[in-house]
Amino acid sequence: MKKRNETNKAIVVKDVYKRFKLVYDKPFTLKERLIFWKNTKVGYHEVLKGINLTINKGETVALVGVNGSGKSTLLKLMTKIIYPTTGEIKTYGKLTSLLELGAGFHQDFTGRENIYFNASIFGLTAAEIDKRVQDIIDFSELGDFIEAPVRTYSSGMYMRLAFSVAINVDAEILLIDEILAVGDKHFQDKCYAKLEELRNSGKTIVIVSHNTGAIEKLCDRAIWLYDGEIREDGPSKKVIKKYLEVCG
Amino acid sequence: MIKELYQYRQLLKSNVRKEIRGKYKGSFLGVLWSFVNPLLMTLVYAIVFPFLLRNSQEHYTTFIIIGILPWNWFTTSISQGTNSILVNGGIIKKVYFPRAILPISIIVSGLVNFLISCLIIFIFLICSGIGFSFNILYLPIIILLQFILQLGIILITSSIDVYVRDAEYIINFFISLLFYATPILYSLDMFPQKLRFILQLNPVASLVTSYKNILYYQIAPNFMQLGYVLVLSLFLLWIGMKIFNKLEKGFAEEL
Repeated sequence: MKKRNETNKAIVVKDVYKRFKLVYDKPFTLKERLIFWKNTKVGYHEVLKGINLTINKGETVALVGVNGSGKSTLLKLMTKIIYPTTGEIKTYGKLTSLLELGAGFHQDFTGRENIYFNASIFGLTAAEIDKRVQDIIDFSELGDFIEAPVRTYSSGMYMRLAFSVAINVDAEILLIDEILAVGDKHFQDKCYAKLEELRNSGKTIVIVSHNTGAIEKLCDRAIWLYDGEIREDGPSKKVIKKYLEVCG
Repeated sequence: MIKELYQYRQLLKSNVRKEIRGKYKGSFLGVLWSFVNPLLMTLVYAIVFPFLLRNSQEHYTTFIIIGILPWNWFTTSISQGTNSILVNGGIIKKVYFPRAILPISIIVSGLVNFLISCLIIFIFLICSGIGFSFNILYLPIIILLQFILQLGIILITSSIDVYVRDAEYIINFFISLLFYATPILYSLDMFPQKLRFILQLNPVASLVTSYKNILYYQIAPNFMQLGYVLVLSLFLLWIGMKIFNKLEKGFAEEL
């Protein structure tokens, strides 16, 4: 994972196809598997069709496109939650993804305990978390609620905590799926400000969002995915303008 | 794979803590249940079995508890371990981390539990007047063997269980079968040589016999048997890692 490359590449996607199997009556048990082993209706849905792309270190890239165009699938492939059907994806450097908020939060544990738990999912050691825990709490603005079980949180508080953890783990590559929509205006602005700060410190960011105004400001490059293929790739202003002309 | 697991050691730690603490959350006795349970089981067997087996062992309660506690670790590890990927489906679909952490933390939390329950065994050894001999020094070796054996098994079962959900039930059946094929309530000496040989193919039988040898009979374990368990466990671990590595790529899509 920590393979150092002399070049300044962060993510290399090479000729990636992703096909999902659609099984209508999924045989989960042995009996079903034996009885229906020829009858299961299987369809294939090709989500990504030959994606080639290289993202360099320090780039901030926006993925835009209509629903179902394969943006989230591409992000999931980059984090290695799922794997390509054919092709290859390589990432260089520590990677954190924020695909869904509060993945792995434990309802009965307090906010502070969940910080430890969540940060350890991102591969941090106890000492590393100790150093960051105060920053995380401050950023989340949860105050005394940090000692309360997470199940008592409102969805906004939940999101604030999750975002604060993910953004403070010091990853070199940050993958973010449409999630910032949850917080209020104040916190959203704060998140974008933090992302800009991370961008300026040379981190690589890949973000999926429909908030075209905000990502145009944040990102210097945009990739427009259309039906599993890259339709346009270039400076964010230009690409987003074209995208809005067609799909807006 | 091992390097990555080491990098994620904190996750293993907090997962183990969660297993131990979270399991009995909300119950009155809490973690104590993991000790009360085998003790109650022992009590039942200690009352019932002397009637069934005519010439039962001296200090029969101590005799069976030395078998039941390792057995308890084995069954809870296997049955929870088999489920470990399935029950964590939510998190597997959302974040990347080495998936093997999940089954491993089941075994490690079981190990912590078992080490504490060794104290119960020691209390029984003292109270029954059996006491200790230097053979107790073999204990860590036997524990390590059991650890490797269980890890190998659940790497296989947990990954298969994602694809074929029957695995869980088949395994539970085998576990209850294995209970009677393991010399927990009886000793292998009761059987003729030929039958004994077949029973010894069961690695858990060899492990339980070894626990009894060093703690109850206070003799050295049978190294031939332990060697067999070692070879088998390493083989299962190797196979397990291969299967798990292959199947884990599809976990997020299957769950």
